[in-house]
Amino acid sequence: MRNLIYCELLKLKKSKMILISILGVLSNPCLIFIEALETHFRHPENVLTLDSMFNNSLMYIMLLTNMIIYVAITAYLFSREYTEHTLKTLLPIPISRTKLLCVKFYTLLLWIIMLTITAWLGVFLLSLTFHLMFHLERFTLIITLKWLICFIFGSMLMFITISPFAYIALKTKGFVIPVISASVIVMGSAALSNQDIGALYPYTATFFLVNGRIFNTGYSVIVAVILILLVSIIGYYLTFSHFIKEDIR
Amino acid sequence: MQYVIETENLTKQYGNTKVVNGINLHVPKGTIYGLLGRNGAGKTTAMKMMLNLVKPTKGNIYLFGENSKENIYKAYSKIGSIIETPGFYTNLTGYENLKIIAKLRGNLPHEKIITTLKSVNLENENGKTFSDYSLGMKQRLGIAAAIMHDPELLILDEPINGLDPIGISLVRSFLLDLKNQGTTILISSHVLSEIEQIADVIGVMNKGTLIEEADIVELRKRKRKYCEFIVSDTNKVKNILNKHLKITDFTIQENTIRIYDFKTPVEEINKTFVKNNVAVTGIRTEEENLEEYFSNLIGGGQIA
Repeated sequence: MRNLIYCELLKLKKSKMILISILGVLSNPCLIFIEALETHFRHPENVLTLDSMFNNSLMYIMLLTNMIIYVAITAYLFSREYTEHTLKTLLPIPISRTKLLCVKFYTLLLWIIMLTITAWLGVFLLSLTFHLMFHLERFTLIITLKWLICFIFGSMLMFITISPFAYIALKTKGFVIPVISASVIVMGSAALSNQDIGALYPYTATFFLVNGRIFNTGYSVIVAVILILLVSIIGYYLTFSHFIKEDIR
Repeated sequence: MQYVIETENLTKQYGNTKVVNGINLHVPKGTIYGLLGRNGAGKTTAMKMMLNLVKPTKGNIYLFGENSKENIYKAYSKIGSIIETPGFYTNLTGYENLKIIAKLRGNLPHEKIITTLKSVNLENENGKTFSDYSLGMKQRLGIAAAIMHDPELLILDEPINGLDPIGISLVRSFLLDLKNQGTTILISSHVLSEIEQIADVIGVMNKGTLIEEADIVELRKRKRKYCEFIVSDTNKVKNILNKHLKITDFTIQENTIRIYDFKTPVEEINKTFVKNNVAVTGIRTEEENLEEYFSNLIGGGQIA
C-alpha cells in the first residue's frame, strides 16, 4: 500500500495539474481581498472582521470555486489511467483494482486538504495585508486557527461528497462530463446557499454543517448528515463496482 | 509436454458478437509461440484475458499449470507483458516510469532499472519525458517494463509495431536470447514474416477462432506443391480442367492458374490446353510459402 501511495504521488511529479489547481484555489483569497477593498472604500462605515473574511472565503470554497477544482482533480486522477493507457501496464503487475482505487481516493484526499490549506493560507496572508493597511477587527491567532479547523473539516466533507464524480470520471474516461456535472451541482449550491432547504441538498448541507447554519434551517441535522452520507456511499459503491468489473479495452 | 499457458474453451462475447470463440491454446514451456491473425481476429482480446484485463465470458486459463482464477497474484508476478502500444505516464521520464513499475513489482533496485534501460538502449534518454519519445522508443520502454523483473513468461502483443528495421532485428535477437535463457514467449503479430523467423509454435486466429496450432517444423512440411500456368484465357482453362482433365484442386488469379493436383502429368495438362487453343506463356512448379498457406487457411487475402 505504501508503495502504491508513493507511486501515485510520483505520477504527479511535473504534472501541470498541481500548479493549475493551486492557482485555481488562490483565486478565492484574491476575490475575498478585492471584495474587502471594495467594501472598505464604498462603505467605510462597515466593520470588517477576520471572521467575515474567512466565512466569505469558506462559502466560495465549498459552494463555488473549489468544488469545480476538486471535481477537475478527481477527474484527472481517476481518468488519467485511461487517457494514458496505463491500466494495461499496471493491472497485470498485478495490482488489486480495489487497492488502486483506495490509493486514488487517498491521494485525492491529500490533494484536497493541501489545496484547502493553501486557500486558508492565502486568505490569512491577504487578511494580514489588509489588516496592516486598513485594520481588521478581531484579528487574532485563535480565530485564524479556528478557521483552519473549519476549512479542513469542510474539505473532508467535500471529499466525501465528491465520490459520484469519481464514478462519472471512470465511466466517461475523461474530464468534460465530470466538470459539466460539477457546474450543474454548483449552480444548485448557488441557488440554495441562502435557502433553508439547502440543508437537504448535500452539496450545500456540507457548508451549513461547517458554519453552523444547519441549526437555524429548521431541518434535522441527522437528515442532512444521512443525505450527505447517502450521496457519498452511492458514489463509492458505483466507483468500486464499476472498476472491479470493468474490461480494460 | 509442460504448458505455461493453456486455455480451455476460452470465450469472450460482447453483446451478440463472439470476439474470442472457444479457443484452446497451448504454449509449451521455453518456446516462442507466435499468435497470428489479421487485425480484429481476437488476438489482443485473448491476450487481455490471459492478463486479467478482460474477464472471460466462458472458459478457463491455466498459467504455469494453475487456474488463473485461483492463484492470480503468484502467477502474474512471473509474467511480463505489452499490450498494443505501451502505456506510460507522459509527464515522467523513462526512468521514472520504470521506477513506478519497479516499486509496484516489489522494490526492484535502482541498478535493475538502469540495466534494463541499457538493454533497450534508452539509458541516455534521461532528460526526455515519455511524451517526447518516438514510437520506437516508446515500444522499447514497453519491452523494458515487461522484462525488468526477469519474468518466466512474456506476453507481447504486436511488440514490433512502430519499430524501424534495425529495431525489429534487435527485438528479434533479444527475444531469441530470452528464449535461450528459458523464458517462454507468447507473441502476437499480423506480420507473418516476423513471427516465422523466431517462433517455435504458431497459432492462427481468424474471426475469434483458433484455426491452426502447430509446430513450425510441422507447418513447413504442410506447404503444398503446385504447378503454375500462365495462360491466355482462364475461363476456357477452367472448363478444360473440369470437363477434360477432371481436376478440381486449382486456383485462378488473373491470367495465372495454380494446379495442386499432380495425378495428371504437367506435360499432359499443357498438351490439353494447347489442343483447345489456349496459349500457354509460362509453366513452373513451385511450393507454397507459409504466408500463402496461412492466407488459404483464413480463406484468402493477406495476413499482413
